[in-house]
Amino acid sequence: MSDRSASSPPLGPEETDDLAGEYVLGTLSAEQRLDVERRLQEDTKLQEAIWAWERRLQPYTAMVEPIAPSSRLWQRISRTLDDRETSRSSAEERATRPGGLLNRLWHDLTLWRGVSLASIVVAIGLAAMLALGPGQTPSSRYLVVLMTPQHTQAGWIVQASSPQRISLKPIGTFEVPPGKALEFWTKADDWSGPVSLGLVEPGETKQLSLDDLPPLEDNQLFELTLEDDSGSPLDRPTGPIQFIGRAVEL
Amino acid sequence: MRCLSPSGVRFKEVRVTDDVAAFNPSAADHGALLEACARGERQALQQLYAQEGSRLLGVVVRIVGDRGIAEDIIHDAFVNIWNKAHTFDATRGSGKTWIFSVARHLALNHVRTRHREVTVDDETADRLDAERAHEVETDMQDHFDWLGHGDLDRCLAQLAPERRNCLFHAYVDGFSHPEIATRMDRPLGTVKAWIKRSLAALRECLS
Repeated sequence: MSDRSASSPPLGPEETDDLAGEYVLGTLSAEQRLDVERRLQEDTKLQEAIWAWERRLQPYTAMVEPIAPSSRLWQRISRTLDDRETSRSSAEERATRPGGLLNRLWHDLTLWRGVSLASIVVAIGLAAMLALGPGQTPSSRYLVVLMTPQHTQAGWIVQASSPQRISLKPIGTFEVPPGKALEFWTKADDWSGPVSLGLVEPGETKQLSLDDLPPLEDNQLFELTLEDDSGSPLDRPTGPIQFIGRAVEL
Repeated sequence: MRCLSPSGVRFKEVRVTDDVAAFNPSAADHGALLEACARGERQALQQLYAQEGSRLLGVVVRIVGDRGIAEDIIHDAFVNIWNKAHTFDATRGSGKTWIFSVARHLALNHVRTRHREVTVDDETADRLDAERAHEVETDMQDHFDWLGHGDLDRCLAQLAPERRNCLFHAYVDGFSHPEIATRMDRPLGTVKAWIKRSLAALRECLS
């Protein structure tokens, strides 16, 4: 995607290998780690370099004394997986009933491997609320769950009551480092680049009207990037993506 | 394919766990277990857990320094391994390497996110660096019993003990640059440069 690669200049072979080595070694900061994980999605050279360092270094984990996990740990893991399977089958069942409204959303959710159960429950609950709520007319409604780039945690939800009015709601906590700010962006598939929707305060709901933009569409991309506290100096993101997701039409 | 590997490939690092599995049928191949996980066979995950749970917990406790948090991370790691098993690509490395990387990176993300505000400001770092620069005695002692674990031994042996210590304090203890500088009692800039040059030297040695 041009908007993302544009914000991080391509790396030479040695830079790639240095970055991969320090990532695997563990010496990068939280911010740099996020940046690597973001680059990884598109940079196969970086993926290969990281794998190479993982292969070289992994045998040395054997220097650490093993510690037997408590007897409850496997039960906990097993219960999490059971819960997830139960919620999946009941959601699939529900999705077939109200005219397949939840189908698309669920399809997307199952693609988000590694999402915490809580995030799935929140998203399903919200979708059900939106889709099955009282007195609703069948106008277009959209939902976006913004996840961390590794899809391990949901941080924000975008709800759209109409294609021009959206609200961004926090569903978790996020600590912005000093001197930095979160900036909200969107881009539809056929736009040439992302458009800034302004800075966002962590923990606060933000209402926005998109009057200057084309109507919200299915699959439209939303993301929150970490920028300097006055926002990105350019007309596109310059900092690492913290949360990202695409709009699903309900 | 793993039983018939020609002798010429036994130095290839990817092969090591496969060879172990070939000689010890009770230790099932991690890659095959991951493929079974991707097919939805929960028993395969349980077997991976039985085989590697203790080693993974040891590695994660060492990085996060807290048994309870470490168990939470192992929980998340196995949920991730189950969910992402279909993305495991055996051509890039062994299943063992993959599951250790999943757990380690969760642990590293945890300590880096938590400790973000603990990093010292530039002024303090400069002052500490100036103090440490006076002590020039070289630490010739290895802090880690690293020899005999992997194919990287030959290249690690070419580094000074101090530089090996930096690498292993990072890889095994999960220390950040400032933490390594404190542990080694060396300036932060020196430690950063050592690590960067050590990685380059290892790369050179391997090529």
